[in-house]
Amino acid sequence: MALLSRKGTLFLLFLFSIFLLSASASNGSGEEEEEFWEELLLKPLPDRKVLSHFHFQNEAPLSDSFARHHHLFPKSIAQLVKKFHIKAMELSFTQGRWNYERWGGFDPISSHNAKPPGVELWAVFDVPPHQVDASWKDLTHALSGLFCASINFLESSTTYSAPKWTFQSALGSLRYGTLPREAVCTENLTPWLKLLPCRDKAGLSALMDRPSIYKSFYHSQRLHLTQAKTGANPKNSRVVLEQTLTVVLQPNILTGGTNYVSEAKMQPSWSLSSIFGRKINGRCVLAKSSNVYLQVERGLVTQLENLQSSTATFAANGTNLDDFGRNVGFELSVNPDRVLKEVEKSSSILYEYPIKVHKDSEQFDLGITWKHPVIWSTPHVPLYASRFLMGSGNERGAIAICMKSTESTQELVAANYVDQRCNFQVNVLQIVPWYIKVYYHTLQLFVDEKPQILTDFVERMHVSPSEDKVSPGLMELVLKLPCEVKSAVLNIEFDKGFLHIDEYPPDANQGFDIPSAIISFPDFNAGLQFSDNSLSKTPMLSKLQERSPVISYTEVLLVPLTTPDFSMPYNVITITCTVFALYFGSLLNALRRRVGEEERRLNDKGGKKDALLNRVLGKLSSKFRGRSSVSSQPSSSSSSSLISPKLILRVLLVAGIAVAWQYYS
Amino acid sequence: MEEISNFPLNPEPPEEESPQSQMHESTPDRKTMRTTKPGIKRLILSLTVLFSFIIGFPFLWKSIEIYRAPLPFDRIESFSSQLESDPLHFPCRFQAIFVGFDFSASRGLGPNDVAAAITRKMSQLNPNSSRCGNCIGGDYDVSVVIDSGSSCAQTEGSEAKCPLKCGEVVFGGKLSDEDFDEMLKRCLGNVGGGGKGYSVVVFNGDKEEGEVRAVVGKYRHAWVLGHVSEDEAVSRTAEIFARVFMNAGSEGNSIRSEFMPVGADGRIVLSFSLLNAEPQDWIYDWSFHEIDKTLLHPVIQALQPIANITVESQVLYYTPKSSFSYWDDIHGSHIFSTKDLPFFLNSNEWHLDTSVAAGGRSKVLQLVVYIPSAKECPLQLELPNGDLSKTNGFISPMWGGVVVWNPESCVKDLESKDPDRRVISPQNLQKLFEVLMGQLRQLLGLKSDNLYVGQSGAYILLGSERGFTEWELDVLSGKHVCFNLHSCATTLGSLSRLVQSLPRMIIIDEIGKQVKFSLEAAKFAQSYASTGIYNASAVSSRQARSLVEDAFFHPSIMSISYYSFEHCFAIYSPFFLPVTMHVILAALREWKRYKQENRKYLAWKAKERIVS
Repeated sequence: MALLSRKGTLFLLFLFSIFLLSASASNGSGEEEEEFWEELLLKPLPDRKVLSHFHFQNEAPLSDSFARHHHLFPKSIAQLVKKFHIKAMELSFTQGRWNYERWGGFDPISSHNAKPPGVELWAVFDVPPHQVDASWKDLTHALSGLFCASINFLESSTTYSAPKWTFQSALGSLRYGTLPREAVCTENLTPWLKLLPCRDKAGLSALMDRPSIYKSFYHSQRLHLTQAKTGANPKNSRVVLEQTLTVVLQPNILTGGTNYVSEAKMQPSWSLSSIFGRKINGRCVLAKSSNVYLQVERGLVTQLENLQSSTATFAANGTNLDDFGRNVGFELSVNPDRVLKEVEKSSSILYEYPIKVHKDSEQFDLGITWKHPVIWSTPHVPLYASRFLMGSGNERGAIAICMKSTESTQELVAANYVDQRCNFQVNVLQIVPWYIKVYYHTLQLFVDEKPQILTDFVERMHVSPSEDKVSPGLMELVLKLPCEVKSAVLNIEFDKGFLHIDEYPPDANQGFDIPSAIISFPDFNAGLQFSDNSLSKTPMLSKLQERSPVISYTEVLLVPLTTPDFSMPYNVITITCTVFALYFGSLLNALRRRVGEEERRLNDKGGKKDALLNRVLGKLSSKFRGRSSVSSQPSSSSSSSLISPKLILRVLLVAGIAVAWQYYS
Repeated sequence: MEEISNFPLNPEPPEEESPQSQMHESTPDRKTMRTTKPGIKRLILSLTVLFSFIIGFPFLWKSIEIYRAPLPFDRIESFSSQLESDPLHFPCRFQAIFVGFDFSASRGLGPNDVAAAITRKMSQLNPNSSRCGNCIGGDYDVSVVIDSGSSCAQTEGSEAKCPLKCGEVVFGGKLSDEDFDEMLKRCLGNVGGGGKGYSVVVFNGDKEEGEVRAVVGKYRHAWVLGHVSEDEAVSRTAEIFARVFMNAGSEGNSIRSEFMPVGADGRIVLSFSLLNAEPQDWIYDWSFHEIDKTLLHPVIQALQPIANITVESQVLYYTPKSSFSYWDDIHGSHIFSTKDLPFFLNSNEWHLDTSVAAGGRSKVLQLVVYIPSAKECPLQLELPNGDLSKTNGFISPMWGGVVVWNPESCVKDLESKDPDRRVISPQNLQKLFEVLMGQLRQLLGLKSDNLYVGQSGAYILLGSERGFTEWELDVLSGKHVCFNLHSCATTLGSLSRLVQSLPRMIIIDEIGKQVKFSLEAAKFAQSYASTGIYNASAVSSRQARSLVEDAFFHPSIMSISYYSFEHCFAIYSPFFLPVTMHVILAALREWKRYKQENRKYLAWKAKERIVS
């Protein structure tokens, strides 16, 4: 370290005059500033678990100094956006599988944050079509370095594809890829946290206690980039960076307070400190707003209302759920500042708790204590989709996507009863790696367990067949299903391909993953509608109210492929070489042979003492050559044995084996 | 296959049979004699196989050979040795103008003698002039103009106008240093066409004028004003030439010239970070946009020939320093000493991430402004001698610099709920950036002082609003070319050593090409430098360096695919070992047999002859 000179007066004389401009803050009309919000949504789930959903939003204007000078917005992300001309991007790291049956599939949280296991990345680029692939490749490498993950494996053209209809309509410039087997851990979370201005030093992110987050049932960390336009001027657009972390946790059961019902039926009571092991010490001072929400679902509200009406005392009081936490079902430890109610009749309720600035004395610890056992169900996806493999063996198989109707579809039928032909749209996106050779002509559709003609139900179809070692196969279907459908099954057959020995992963025997299929329902809207719309909208609320299609992912399939013996090349080389050597040696010997002379010598030696050994050898050799040559006259037979077709046959056989071996190895 | 099917048709055995039956009658001794010439079919066959093996061997060897692009090892060797023995030099011209002196009258010296005296003095002052990037050592191109008022003499080949036209102006009015500098620039112009021309003007004043004032301007001029003797004038001139213009006032105590924080692609990213150690206390922001426009832009423009500079900035929060500081009553502040500096940077919490936009091999220089928390405010750096540092900052060579900036009032507003958000005032920011620019100058190997004290007096160094004066930039770009060529030579050397030490490593054509082009670019850089075409030299040297770095970090080298000989042996030996044994044995046996049989035949022949 070199110290600056003691004669500290620097002799740089800069222009003083120009600089007396007022700071740039003066022209900050709100549009020009970078903003940051932090929010947390908590929701009890029917299967005694708790969903916690962290939402951080960072916005920066897309001005000249974007990607160069930043105050809150992460510089690294801004530079990515600028360098690769990203219009929109989403990257998610997920561990565990979202349980659509129990945790719901018809709400904004699940359709935005339920992601396939591993890494999923899609990006829309603002570049000419021929540069999109190059940008994608660079982006995967940059992200891989940024998030300490093997996203760079998405660089290979066999791993990504360009779907048309499933995501936002960005024709040609969208790329989509997944890595189903990527393990997600703290090394991915830390760089993600680094993008937040407060990191996990203060504010809601301080709750993220690594052990409790990673022992969750479902863990999905997401980064979503979009460009939002504000006003008519296209130059006024802002870059919006959403970072969400969705965790499904099992709260530790707090003992005590429940003496009249057996604990097994009760929902576990929990608090922030019991599920995360920490309390909120204060907001991140840089955040524009910092809120915690507690969502009570539609089903639970209905149940509680039923319960309330059956309990006489409360009915007399006329209290409802708006009266904070003083209802039959549960009690809240902190009174909310605001209660948001959905417009519809049986609607979900949202309690809002703004977080104050840090004070040593008070810590925020929201808790919920259940007083009465309640059983409810979450809103389900219109069609519950599952995917499985059929067939056995290492040669061929079939993929089936099975969609079963749930109560949402029944509601739809009820709602549209007047309409005679009620249909709804289902988009299916299925991407298969090239070594699963799908025969698209074998695509079959069963509606209500009866085989149907595809064209009756498929409105549009986009297939790009896989090319060996170049691109994966992609199939996009737009189905129009009748509302009263009970089940729909898509079935497609495939052959398992062979990989080159270098292409197998280290754990080849485990099998190969087929990425999740995406089933989306554009006719259904997952957004919630809250009554007091006029009030200030935080990003979380606007996200919950956003009209967005319902999306669900199917399971990842594990396909076992034939795995070779990896020492095979050496064995083949060695055996081939040995066979060749044998063949060559015997050929040479045969060519050099002088039959007449040998016989003469044999005859000469016949009378001698050591003939015994020779005789034995001769016998052995004669036996070896075939039983036919039993005649005691070897002189006549030996010459004929040379010409005999047997020898030729034998030599040919050896040569044939050798050639065959060489050919197949 | 064909040979086999032909084999039984081979008429030899019957042939052999018949003479033998004949021999039975004529000569009973079959073991020692034979009547026919021995057959050579089998011999030819086995020898053909053997020879075809021998001939085929080179083809096999060729087919399993590893492709290695030829690298010019000898040229690499000669390039680095040449750079070692004959460092790069730029031609410089020095011009000394003495106004109001009369050397011929007082000493009897002509302008040529004065020039020789200056050269001598310069060599004394600058003994290690052979350093790379310097002016051509030994014989400096010094021209002298002596204007004694009445007469004017000059060395041959001098381009300056004689007598100096602007002499009267100097003594006429009191000019500020800046104006004087401009005036000199106007009337001297740029000395010399190619290369760098430096000039020193010595004005001999009256005795009453008092102190001698020596100023080095921001262009390539310096002047000495006041009453000086002839000897002093000569020595001062020589000192300005040798010490200031050629070495930028550094005497080797600052950063070594080998370190030039420029990336291999010729780029520097200046990454400014404002660190709020504890945002709960106060949050400071800056209007970096304005600074970028007004202060940094001219600097970047000035440094254009040396490096392509980009600027970016960010504000980070919750970034405590990792060293401790203590309260000192005497200074009334928290103190961290120079011993703590290695621990000041907190790499766990300071996410001064490397720029994504820079990519590749750009050099990122971190310039950090640290705002202490209320607990440790004000925070001052104590120098080893007990004084407080005026700049309150330090640099770490090749990494960047840190400045601690204390808010005006260290009292935290306890009443307000929200932490106060403040913006660093433009005046403060201006001061801060002067310190940061000084740090940048030091990182580049220049002095951050405006005074140079030499043997024969002090010299005021005029600053430029661009941060770097022209003569400083000359020194820097000389250093830059040198640094590039040196690192190019070192990288080439290591590349050639690596390649030679691994004889079975694949070297693709591209690497060979890159090495070739790099050597060519280096040659160009040298030739441009010797003719004094500066920018071209800088460009070529940068190119040479980046090309060789490209070659060295080529992915195919990074993943050294080393196909070992053992591997090759293991694959081919199962075939070749048994087969060659067969072939050689067969050939040997046949040869032996042929000789034996031939001897028999000869014996029979001899016998026949005797018989006949």
